[in-house]
Amino acid sequence: MESLSPMFGPDLNFPRGLTSARAAEILARDGPNALTPPKSTPEIIKFLKQMVGGFSILLWVGALLCWIAFGIQVAQGVASAFDNLYLGVVLALVVILTGIFAYYQEAKSTNIMASFSKMIPQQALVIRDGEKREVSAEQLVVGDMVEIKGGDRIPADIRLIFAQGCKVDNSSLTGESEPQSRSCDFTHENPLETKNIAFYSTTCLEGTATGMVINTGDQTIIGRIASLASGVGNEKTPIAIEIEHFVHIVAGVAVSIGVLFFIIAVSMKYKVLDSIIFLIGIIVANVPEGLLATVTVSLSLTAKRMAKKNCLVKNLEAVETLGSTSIICSDKTGTLTQNRMTVAHLWFDDQIYSADTSEEQTTQSFDQSSQSWAALSKVVTLCNRAEFKPGQENVPIMKRVVVGDASETALLKFAEVILGDVMGIRKRNRKLAEIPFNSTNKFQLSIHETEDPNDKRFLMVMKGAPERILERCSTIMINGEEQPLDRERAEAFQTAYMELGGLGERVLGFCHLYLPEDEFPDTYPFDTDSMNFPTSNLCFVGLLSMIDPPRSTVPDAVSKCRSAGIKVIMVTGDHPITAKAIAKSVGIISANSETVEDIAKRLNVPVEQVNKEDARAAVINGMELKDMTTEQLDEILINHSEIVFARTSPQQKLIIVEGCQRQDAVVAVTGDGVNDSPALKKADIGIAMGIAGSDAAKNAADMILLDDNFASIVTGVEEGRLIFDNLKKTIAYTLTKNIAELCPFLIYIIASVPLPIGTITILFIDLGTDIIPSVALAYEKAESDIMNRRPRHKKKDRLVNEQLAVYSYLQIGIIQSIGAFLAYFTVYAEQGWLPNTLLGLRVNWEDDYYNDIEDSYGQEWTRYQRTYLQWTGYTAFFVSITIQQVADLIIRKTRRNSIFQQGLLRNKVIWVGIVSQIAIALILSYGLGSVTALNFTPLRVQYWFVAMPYAILIWVYDEIRKLFIRQYPGSWWDKNMYY
Amino acid sequence: AVWASVEFLGFLCSLGLGGLSVCLGCFVCLVFFEKMAALNEKKTCSQRMENFKRFVWNPDTGQLMGRTLINWVWISLYYVAFYIVMTGLFSLAIYSLMRTLNPYTPDYQDRLKSPGVTLRPDVYGEGGLEIYYNASDKNSWEKYVTTLHKFLSAYNTTAQHANINCTSEKYFFQKSFLGPNKTKYSCKFTSDMLENCSGLANSTFGFPEGQPCLIIKMNRIINFLPGNGTAPRVSCTAQHDDFSPLELQYYPVNGTFNLHYFPYYGKKAQPTYSNPLVAVKFLNITRNAEVTVVCRVIGTGITSDNPHDPYEGKVEFKMRIQD
Repeated sequence: MESLSPMFGPDLNFPRGLTSARAAEILARDGPNALTPPKSTPEIIKFLKQMVGGFSILLWVGALLCWIAFGIQVAQGVASAFDNLYLGVVLALVVILTGIFAYYQEAKSTNIMASFSKMIPQQALVIRDGEKREVSAEQLVVGDMVEIKGGDRIPADIRLIFAQGCKVDNSSLTGESEPQSRSCDFTHENPLETKNIAFYSTTCLEGTATGMVINTGDQTIIGRIASLASGVGNEKTPIAIEIEHFVHIVAGVAVSIGVLFFIIAVSMKYKVLDSIIFLIGIIVANVPEGLLATVTVSLSLTAKRMAKKNCLVKNLEAVETLGSTSIICSDKTGTLTQNRMTVAHLWFDDQIYSADTSEEQTTQSFDQSSQSWAALSKVVTLCNRAEFKPGQENVPIMKRVVVGDASETALLKFAEVILGDVMGIRKRNRKLAEIPFNSTNKFQLSIHETEDPNDKRFLMVMKGAPERILERCSTIMINGEEQPLDRERAEAFQTAYMELGGLGERVLGFCHLYLPEDEFPDTYPFDTDSMNFPTSNLCFVGLLSMIDPPRSTVPDAVSKCRSAGIKVIMVTGDHPITAKAIAKSVGIISANSETVEDIAKRLNVPVEQVNKEDARAAVINGMELKDMTTEQLDEILINHSEIVFARTSPQQKLIIVEGCQRQDAVVAVTGDGVNDSPALKKADIGIAMGIAGSDAAKNAADMILLDDNFASIVTGVEEGRLIFDNLKKTIAYTLTKNIAELCPFLIYIIASVPLPIGTITILFIDLGTDIIPSVALAYEKAESDIMNRRPRHKKKDRLVNEQLAVYSYLQIGIIQSIGAFLAYFTVYAEQGWLPNTLLGLRVNWEDDYYNDIEDSYGQEWTRYQRTYLQWTGYTAFFVSITIQQVADLIIRKTRRNSIFQQGLLRNKVIWVGIVSQIAIALILSYGLGSVTALNFTPLRVQYWFVAMPYAILIWVYDEIRKLFIRQYPGSWWDKNMYY
Repeated sequence: AVWASVEFLGFLCSLGLGGLSVCLGCFVCLVFFEKMAALNEKKTCSQRMENFKRFVWNPDTGQLMGRTLINWVWISLYYVAFYIVMTGLFSLAIYSLMRTLNPYTPDYQDRLKSPGVTLRPDVYGEGGLEIYYNASDKNSWEKYVTTLHKFLSAYNTTAQHANINCTSEKYFFQKSFLGPNKTKYSCKFTSDMLENCSGLANSTFGFPEGQPCLIIKMNRIINFLPGNGTAPRVSCTAQHDDFSPLELQYYPVNGTFNLHYFPYYGKKAQPTYSNPLVAVKFLNITRNAEVTVVCRVIGTGITSDNPHDPYEGKVEFKMRIQD
């Protein structure tokens, strides 16, 4: 204080503040009073990042290999060398275009987000040069004297030197929803606990205060928390890990087949350079060119669908993360609760009544016939300073804006719902005197005229802390009649008070007194300072308790999470009792589970003696958490299925998230305050609140709930799980035809037949006919209730597992190849080249100078005539793959159920896919058949049907596979055939 | 009807077996890479090696690469069965395809509307067919002479003895199989029909004299009737008229393909058929200059203007004779 005194001048009550010159000096030294925004990645880096993810790398390597092959072939003077160049260019284009698309998608969500943060420049009332002036909050410096009043946002960390009835809402900092009173007294060593400091970004709810700025900008508590968030690294998303895993498999398979055939080719006396070209060809043929685009489009389709359900996804990959979530660490205030005080219970006539606390209440259904209620409602209505802002007649009561503190607002709305026109009632019962609530007497009273013209008595109404109110009462109203307040009644009061308090609710007591007409005539001068009216021997009317009630959709959502195997942990800065009460009411702690303390209380034994494993639930206080080792925390996280962490600090939230991640869980964290941002960042998926959320939270999060509703998370989980399943199907679909594209090349090398399908043709499958169908699989409905199974295990349930790869590559892929080869042999045979003639023909066939090769019938062919036939072969092979991909598409609709159970027509997009597939093939064959560069020819109609039996075989075979899987769960078949 | 030769069935079987072994190899690879990919986490090298060893052989569960031995047997058996069935299905399909084919004529000939034309000797250089030689240097033209002799050896009297002499100037239609072993007759074409270019009188085909003989051959197409009743003939022209017009001598007379060599009934019906030939003797090739010559076969039904196919109905080559 001494160091401060020079600035105050002679009178402490009239501080002179800093001089403008000094303030400018300090401002220059410390910088403006604003949080440094998190380092945003430059757009170009973001853009480039889109192009080097797991998949893209695969394509880049493929493109590079193509160019190498091109280089070799050009040096050799091979005519078809340019195919490789084009292929490389196409691969590169695919990566770039997909990157642009993904970048655009994410930029779009970022823009939506940016629209939230329209910050109004904040003003602060500061004393400088001995006079008050309004300056922008950014101009504040350490040492400035500022004045704050109810409704203001605290412009910096401030040490109070004068406070009157000052209350602040620290929820954005600590998550505590209770208003905190502030005074000039130093009450605690910990700056977060002491009463004489008000923190930057919190709000002053009521009262006035003057204080000196002690920290500005990033030095403030909130600034330090925000910088804590930027220090937390971003983890790889589960889907990114899965895709990496998939790329490893594909690359491994490609390289091993490539090397295998390189050895075969060399031992078959091919030239080494040719063998290298083969090696590269095989590796590139294994690259699923279209998959990157498909996955990106599928994810963004889901992201779009989620956005419609109020989950805005910032990072496309986060779409799936929500689906694999196994633990949700949810903040309480605002997410689980409505973030507004609401009357939850009433006690009058010796009985507890429950009030409706839902968001949309329009009536209250408890018994309102008692005369006591009439009296209580009058006290509630009159002894209240809160008022609706005018001009909101058409707004639902619950949504109206109120001037006043949280409890009074709750009471006002409660009264308005039941009685209607509270303002009118107040007008008719004119207020004559009033003592507002203060922390010393802990009550509020007012004196009114009554609306009954015949009743000339004054009515004095009072509300306050229940025990203080009871002290002043000598009677109690039961069924509308005043009865003496004896011990029995007092005990009943105590029981009710304890019970409501135990529910974590804030309880208020109400009493009244009709002032006798003779003592207090019309003209009686009420004086609130001298209190010239009785304030004891009043009549107790009832209790009302309030709570920030859970959102009505939350209990259902929590139970859905439960059945989906997701553990919901509440992490809040609020008091344990309130936290536990809310946890119980939303089902985070289920009705029949107990904490260790509950068991101890029930058995009447000390807490230490209780077997910890008996308790399913646990409520952990932040203070306890502070003294815990990581092992102890792990133990709690493993042993208890229902956990509530109360009074936690931002660092502790981080510790809790890390603890969950140690259990191999995929952790989702929801939060809105700045205090949540480190945890949001640390989480596998951070979910910020769109309405209540602070910018820091939104920046740190991967997803934003536009309606702040926990229930939206459940839809998100559902979508996430569905997209994981559907991506599996998409990948299985895409991988299958890879074999049908690779086999021709292998047979070409080994059996030296004319090349069955060319590179360009393959590209037309991968990036042409197959794209829409594989995206269509993203629209597939779930096979069974995906919300009834456990979340996938991060390390065991892979996106692409052995079964999927083996079944696609070695079974369906092989059937497809056989079907396509049949078409190939048919085309050649019917033109005069029987299969046995084709064997070993390659060198002559490709000899540009050999213009009279004999076919099986003795006819002689020129090079071009053969080439054209080769293109016809390509087209037939292409068409056959397309036809069989239709069958593949249909079988991939389900992994376990029969197609008939799933319904062939439910997913219309699949049919769009099939039609597009066939239409593209028709256009390529008949429309562009004359463009020689594309290597397509108009194909005879019957060749379209050659592979049809194999398409049917694929379908039948897969139905049998699914049938056995359903019939014999857990069997050898199930283990090897279910992917 | 045993078109599906034993050779091809053998191929199919080896394809099946080869495919099977490759696929089983792939299977092991897949399993391997699946596991390897899964192992790829932040671990120390020794931990990774340890994990890998456990994957290859896990003594606790008796698992070899993630499967017990019996499990490997089962999965192998399944794949063996699967591939046997698949190979069987494919063989059956190929067999029925063969059954549908006509052994004498292919189902479609739409790719062979007009025959290709080739040149002998067929020696290719950087820019296609090239007849470059030095008249005084035997080594430079000997390869052409050898090629021609080799080519014409199929046309000597012994090689042609199975064919009949034909004199008619009309198409030689044969409805039924009157030849030996249910075949159709083929007409004789002997090298002596090429007179000065037969290589009999002048065994060097005029190369050292600077008046070389080149042979033009037209590709066979089953049931193709060139010329619509008039015998198609060869006509060679120099590409550019910078030089004096070519003086040429065609053998047989007029450079025609006699109609009785047509139609061709296919390898099965006419196993001894040989293409009729036309020899062109270049009499006045400008020395020490490159001459581009195009020889066309002229006749109804023979097109030589396909922009994509340089050998359809014509053959183009370059000549340079040095002193």
